[in-house]
Amino acid sequence: MLEINELSAAVEGEPILKELSLTIGDGEVHAIMGPNGSGKSTLANVLTGRDGYEVTGGTVKFNGRDLLAMAVDKRALAGVFLAFQYPVEIPGVSNMEFLKTAVDAKRRHSGEEPMSSVDFMKLARETSRKIQLDPSFLKRGVNEGFSGGEKKRNEILQMLLLEPSLCILDETDSGLDIDALQIIAEGVNGMRDGKRSFLVVTHYQRLLDFIVPDRVHVLAAGRIVKSGGKELALELEDKGYGWLEDAVA
Amino acid sequence: MSEQVENLIRKDYAAGFQSAIESDTLPPGLNEDVVRFISAKKEEPEWMLEWRLKAYRAWREMVTPTWAHVHYPEIDFDSISYYSAPKSMEDRPKSLDEVDPELLETYAKLGIPLHEQEALAGVAVDAVFDSVSVVTTFRKKLFEAGVIFCSISEALREYPELVKKHLGTVVPQRDNFFAALNSAVFSDGSFVYIPKGVKCPMELSTYFRINELNTGQFERTLIVAEEGAEVSYLEGCTAPMRDENQLHAAVVELVAMDNAKIKYSTVQNWYPGDKDGKGGIYNFVTKRGMAHRNAHISWTQVETGSAVTWKYPSCILKGDNSVGEFYSVALTNNWQQADTGTKMIHLGKNTRSTIIAKGISAGHSQSAYRGLVRINPGAEGARNYTQCDSLLIGDQCGAHTFPYIESRNNSAVIEHEATTSRVSDEQMFLCQQRGLDAEKAVSMIVNGFCREVFRELPMEFAVEAGKLLEVSLEGSVG
Amino acid sequence: MSMGDFQQQALKLAARQPRGPDAEWLTDLRDNGARQWLRSAWPGRKTELWKYTPLKALQEKPFEDWAQPQSGWQDEIELLPIEGIRLVFVNGVFDEAQSDTLPEQVSLFSRTEGRGEEVLRSKLGTILDTERHLFAALSNAWANEGVLLHVPARTVLDRPIYIVHVSTPQAQPSVANLRVLVVMEQGARAEMIEHYVSAGRQQNGFVNALTEVSVGANAEFRHTRINLEDESLLHIGGVHVALQRDARCDSFTIAEGSQLKRIDYQVTHREPGGQLRLNGIYLAHGRQLLDYHTNIEHAAPHGTTEEVFRGIIGDHARAVFNGRIHIHPHAQKTLAELNNRNLLTSRNAEIDTKPELEIYADDVRCAHGATVSQLDGKAMYYLQSRGISAEQSRILLSFGFINELIQQLPREEIRDYLQRHLQLLFENSDSLIGEAGSQVPNEAVAEEAGGRH
Repeated sequence: MLEINELSAAVEGEPILKELSLTIGDGEVHAIMGPNGSGKSTLANVLTGRDGYEVTGGTVKFNGRDLLAMAVDKRALAGVFLAFQYPVEIPGVSNMEFLKTAVDAKRRHSGEEPMSSVDFMKLARETSRKIQLDPSFLKRGVNEGFSGGEKKRNEILQMLLLEPSLCILDETDSGLDIDALQIIAEGVNGMRDGKRSFLVVTHYQRLLDFIVPDRVHVLAAGRIVKSGGKELALELEDKGYGWLEDAVA
Repeated sequence: MSEQVENLIRKDYAAGFQSAIESDTLPPGLNEDVVRFISAKKEEPEWMLEWRLKAYRAWREMVTPTWAHVHYPEIDFDSISYYSAPKSMEDRPKSLDEVDPELLETYAKLGIPLHEQEALAGVAVDAVFDSVSVVTTFRKKLFEAGVIFCSISEALREYPELVKKHLGTVVPQRDNFFAALNSAVFSDGSFVYIPKGVKCPMELSTYFRINELNTGQFERTLIVAEEGAEVSYLEGCTAPMRDENQLHAAVVELVAMDNAKIKYSTVQNWYPGDKDGKGGIYNFVTKRGMAHRNAHISWTQVETGSAVTWKYPSCILKGDNSVGEFYSVALTNNWQQADTGTKMIHLGKNTRSTIIAKGISAGHSQSAYRGLVRINPGAEGARNYTQCDSLLIGDQCGAHTFPYIESRNNSAVIEHEATTSRVSDEQMFLCQQRGLDAEKAVSMIVNGFCREVFRELPMEFAVEAGKLLEVSLEGSVG
Repeated sequence: MSMGDFQQQALKLAARQPRGPDAEWLTDLRDNGARQWLRSAWPGRKTELWKYTPLKALQEKPFEDWAQPQSGWQDEIELLPIEGIRLVFVNGVFDEAQSDTLPEQVSLFSRTEGRGEEVLRSKLGTILDTERHLFAALSNAWANEGVLLHVPARTVLDRPIYIVHVSTPQAQPSVANLRVLVVMEQGARAEMIEHYVSAGRQQNGFVNALTEVSVGANAEFRHTRINLEDESLLHIGGVHVALQRDARCDSFTIAEGSQLKRIDYQVTHREPGGQLRLNGIYLAHGRQLLDYHTNIEHAAPHGTTEEVFRGIIGDHARAVFNGRIHIHPHAQKTLAELNNRNLLTSRNAEIDTKPELEIYADDVRCAHGATVSQLDGKAMYYLQSRGISAEQSRILLSFGFINELIQQLPREEIRDYLQRHLQLLFENSDSLIGEAGSQVPNEAVAEEAGGRH
């Protein structure tokens, strides 16, 4: 699915990622953990092509294609989805309209007809119920006046509707209480079908109790310093990130 | 990202074709004889000629206003032709079958079918081509309801007393430079009369088109809603692409008697000039409504065209409990300049006004909101709420807000808010990450920004306005 | 007297002023000022910057120089109990006996020496915008005496400069020209309080006061301007500030109206990173006229402006507020906010407010808001339901409306002084917060206020 090979990236001239390599196979769930400032969010942003993140070396192949050469929307259409750490508000643009436009773009891309408005509204309502987001949020402006938890659930709603093949969750758990976390995890787990892959970026082990990863990687100072199974997350929880400083040095 | 946004704005003007129609055009220049010629050509009554001459004499003493935040070379009023009519209109067609097919073709190209069977359901159209009204649809059906909807020339012949009673009562001849000019030389426009207690059975619409070179268009519209009457009216405007600037100086007067309701919507898409600022229409318009007791006047405008716009649709809230509204979207791109807004003059008790103005500037354009809220001493309990928001696309354009608030009654409550922002990188990234291309993303964000105004437009036109915005923004992102 | 006459006459008076020992270097400034003053069209109703403020009160009088004050004026004024360096001017003339010994950073124009003189020569008149503030040209034409505060690089003045401008009653209409120049060099820090007071009533005078401030890189200037003179005094004031890189300016102004009072704040962010806070209070009652014009020019990126003005207008008074924020091209990342709230307490009072934004850069965050209203009926009812009289309720609520800004002042002496002064003003002046013009007895008003809910 995803092959990252010696990827280096900088923000405002400051190197953040340093020759990072990572391969995610079809249907796998990988977690990236690490202290603040280790480059976790940078990785998510580089993979989706956000402005201001400069790739200084390395390659990324997505299903065999050169991901870094693609524009932001083309990566999305190819199946890469980012659940934002800080979802942005777009005043006046209703959530429903936004979702339909995005889903239509995706369908057009894969040669399908756009959905009829009636069918789409039905689907959107059902899906939002699944993640316990009141359908009234569909009528409101995109993230406009949503609470932190509602914004995060709205991200998952988009993910469910767009059915991407690679889902990147950027600190989706931060700022959520345990109930909200469970709802989101259920949404994510429901999408695991053996083909779809996940890259879960998190600071805390807690999320991984609910979304159980196949592999856990520890990121520090722009490099993966340790990889292991799901037990690595528990180990981190016990030891904290302090020991990493020695590992990096 | 902003570079991307900038490159999105660049697209051809879709209504920019010219029509090969033989015209009867007066040579350029303005003097009393021209005024007499126009009046005679239209077979107007003597009082109307005097009315025009009075305006002309007043105009000669006036100077062009300079306070607006717009810049353009001085206009040579003697280089403009003040009358142009398609030749085939000489023998005024009695029905659509007699209208020059080329003319009908022109309107069809613009998406304004004049054949009633093809027309938008429930919308009656009056088409004004250069200086004259060419056709008005659905007249019979309206007539049955007691509604008069015809060209103002025709109204002057058929209903002179009605016109005489109201013409110039809201915008007097010497109101301002361009209104005086219009009063002297206006050639046509629409007249609407809704009798007491009648709700107009369909949307009324006028479509204005400037075709002839070096012609000014000076249309005059008068809408009278008698006690308890209601009407919704829409005007649309286009012009061919030409390198020369053309002048359009219209006057619109609305009279809403007690308990009457007038909703006036405009989709203005005059030729804005090319991407280097060459050509385009100078749009200097005076629009004002008089609201009597409990009357309700609502202006909605979507302004995407014209090289220079100078326009302040206003309400005089004379009667107690009358309501005035102004909803505006003004989009400028390339080298366009717009200075637009409204005046709400509160005279009566418990009068209420709402102003929602959205300005979008892209390219090298300048967009200004200029508004006046005046509460006179007698306006006990008056209320105003104003919100003006500006959206900037690119760093070469400007967005300005000049609100004047004058309150002389302490029981009045006035609230004014203004913000300026730009299409943020984060918003663009979110949309693009969800698979929308840059152009679609900008257009969606801009449409969201304008939502509160679009919602006021009649349904069919809200869709059109959204599309128009999309087209006007094309080329602003790459 | 026609308006042209006033322009001529003012210049004649200006020319008569003693030029001091350093006359020569002032000549250009004066000549240019005089030329500009004469060349300018006299403001009328169609002059945008004077649209709501007629200068009739000025035109009507044949002005003279100010006469010597009568003895005993000291008893008529209350000074701020500020532990600072005090300079007292009476009718525009420095009063050495009432003033403290001046430290090296503070001097009079007529007594500057060495570096101070250089600074005065190179800076005086360079921070002005005479196009937007016509009376700055008159001030230039008149320039003779004034205060120079020059704070060298990285110097911190630990005591505030306290300048008191006293005006006394005059038999003849009289003019005084007051001038202050502040030059803060890199990293300097200082505070200045300008206090305009009148000793007694029947002032019969016109004061044209102008303060120029240059805040150098990373320097910090705190400025308070208090204008609570008798309403018979005509006052035209200007504060022009230039902010260099990362400079900070914290400014507060309060004024009561008079027959004619107009105060212009003109602040330019000349270099990136400047921070401005400008708060103001205006109070007009009787038949007073009070006009604040503020104009903030963001000519460089990364600047911030926070501006809050509140006004209470009662009786037959009129207040004008015009707040303009102008973001120049390339002044990206500017944050500018302006908020203006007005309380009209009488049905004959008038407010004309115009918050303006002119923006030529896209990556900025700008907002303004303005409101006009009367005292909140709900709040009035709430207070009265607790047994507080209608009159007292009005005082409390009106005071609360402006006290928010006063409480933000860091100096306790100024807070106390203003709170005491305003309390008195509210209690003694029905016309500021009462319904004096309307002849509605208090009880009826109370009922009305209560009856709304």
